[in-house]
Amino acid sequence: MAHDATHAHDDHGHAQPSGIMRWLTTTNHKDIGSLYMWFAGIMFLIAGTMALVIRAELFQPGLQVVDPEFFNQMTTLHGLIMVFGVIMPAWAGFANWQIPLMIGAPDMAFPRMNNWGFWLLPVAGFLLVLTLFMPGGGPAGGWTMYPPLFIQGGISYDLTIFAVHILGASSIMGSINIITTILNMRAPGMTMMKMPLFVWTWLITAYLLIATVPVLAGAVTMLLTDRNFDTHFFNAAGGGDPVMFQHIFWFFGHPEVYILILPAFGVVSQIIPTFARKPLFGYASMVYATASIAILSFIVWAHHMFTVGMPATAQLFFMYSTMLIAVPTGVKVFNWVATMWKGSMTFETPMLFAIAFVCLFTIGGFSGLVCAMTPVDIQIHDTYYVVAHFHYVLVSGALFAIIAGVYYWLPKWTGHMYDERLGKLHFWLSVISMNITFFPMHFLGLAGMPRRYADYALQFAEFNAIASVGAFLFGFSQLIFLYLIIKAIKGGQKATDQVWEGAEGLEWTVPSPAPYHTFETAPVVK
Amino acid sequence: MAEHRGSLWQAARAVFWSFFGVRKKSHYEQDAVQLTPVQVIVMGLASAALFVLILLGIVWLVAN
Ligand code: HEM
Ligand SMILES: [Cu+2]
Repeated sequence: MAHDATHAHDDHGHAQPSGIMRWLTTTNHKDIGSLYMWFAGIMFLIAGTMALVIRAELFQPGLQVVDPEFFNQMTTLHGLIMVFGVIMPAWAGFANWQIPLMIGAPDMAFPRMNNWGFWLLPVAGFLLVLTLFMPGGGPAGGWTMYPPLFIQGGISYDLTIFAVHILGASSIMGSINIITTILNMRAPGMTMMKMPLFVWTWLITAYLLIATVPVLAGAVTMLLTDRNFDTHFFNAAGGGDPVMFQHIFWFFGHPEVYILILPAFGVVSQIIPTFARKPLFGYASMVYATASIAILSFIVWAHHMFTVGMPATAQLFFMYSTMLIAVPTGVKVFNWVATMWKGSMTFETPMLFAIAFVCLFTIGGFSGLVCAMTPVDIQIHDTYYVVAHFHYVLVSGALFAIIAGVYYWLPKWTGHMYDERLGKLHFWLSVISMNITFFPMHFLGLAGMPRRYADYALQFAEFNAIASVGAFLFGFSQLIFLYLIIKAIKGGQKATDQVWEGAEGLEWTVPSPAPYHTFETAPVVK
Repeated sequence: MAEHRGSLWQAARAVFWSFFGVRKKSHYEQDAVQLTPVQVIVMGLASAALFVLILLGIVWLVAN
């Protein structure tokens, strides 16, 4: 996105390759940030198309559109790609673009590793898509990769495991880079407790990644050796235990959901003060709450496994711990509301998405609490209620925050204002269709419709038809977003340096578009 | 900021309030100058362990 700026500002001596080589060899945090964002955008279109295949099949009971085998491949790859190929890379893109700009650093700490970390992603993305063309088709065991299904499948399962390894390596490199940059490269005067909240949330996210990604890598490596080298970690016939996989996976998996959402908390905590024209209410509480959410996220994992069988004492423990982690999360919601309280608010598109985030993420938090009650979860586990829960926290949570952040910083990245009228249209279509899609799933789940099936009983027909209509509306509305971004890159009203009247922070002190090199001499923060 | 004189007790209180997610402004400002990161992190992990023990205690009470 910065390439117009490049040539204008590329006056610093050493020659730079052009064309594709420029992108392959770049070590510039803004270039790499843009690459991450485009990668996430492309994968979003692929995984989104898969979601529409799922919803097309589920529009009516019976089998109309795809084979059940292919349907299962769609649910598996949709989940894997959305988590590892869309939300995580998009946050890495924001980190690359914004963290140096927000702390007054000239670039990331390890620029070459940054390049390598990014270019691993298209390889992994390619492998995941390639699985669909392998004998037997793509992986069909669910995004959670549970054995025994994930031990039994064909070559595409090995490709998936390999892709997860590569994605993990990329995440670790990204995290090391982010931590080192934040701890060592802040401008003079930028103390830890002056850092913008987005920087704080990413710092904590990076630690979570370093703590959990190796656990996931270990779990899938054990799958790999079970598949190919006759080990029996998860094979009961050989003395192994398939439930152990679930424990290891969710020890990674629950912190992972916070990896997906903490940067979202950060972005929303940047946007709401800007458009409420008030400082963030309870900045320190927000930092503290983020840190404790991160620690507590390690002791709740078995709430994903209440039905596999565990002692009643363990069920009680995980029920209590899960309910308590909602306390610091709730405090954050109160802080955002208090920030808006009596503010002079305006409702530009980033603010609209941020407010939708606060409202709808809270719905997802509450349905999470419902799932956290063991006796209730035994009824609703693996039903559409859970699907409703995690789409409220991930679509109207993580994804809406990503969209809000793109609208918020796009003028800084491209130098042009986006089209506000179309932005509002995109917002209203998204927020309405998102609810049409996912709200009925609560009812479906409570009525007992299981997830991950291509067919269903007749009594579920109406709500499924409604959800499918909503999904297509949501999917096609996102094309407006793509159009808006391209339009803003190509031209439009010039953005000022500050862009938003109420915006504060170092990134708003540099010109728009942000020059290729910023803060070569560090700014001084008072 | 040359000297950090925060006591263990102060670190414990800061961490306790962070589990709740709230901290009084004047107290927070004291924390910011008096506590070191190492103190906070060690106390955070210790408190997490304590938290687990308390939950296990409650579970034990409920289950018996
Ligand atoms: C208030 C906080 C939350 C609570 C109490 C909570 C609780 C739960 C529980 C108990 C389940 C298991 C349900 C079941 O499978 O039967 C679950 C599933 C899930 N949650 Fe949450 N959750 C919370 C927040 C989040 C957030 C912030 C995210 C992501 C950004 C998230 C993502 C997920 C996902 C992806 C699943 C389903 C995983 C799967 O089985 O495929 N949750 N949640
Ligand atoms: Cu969880």
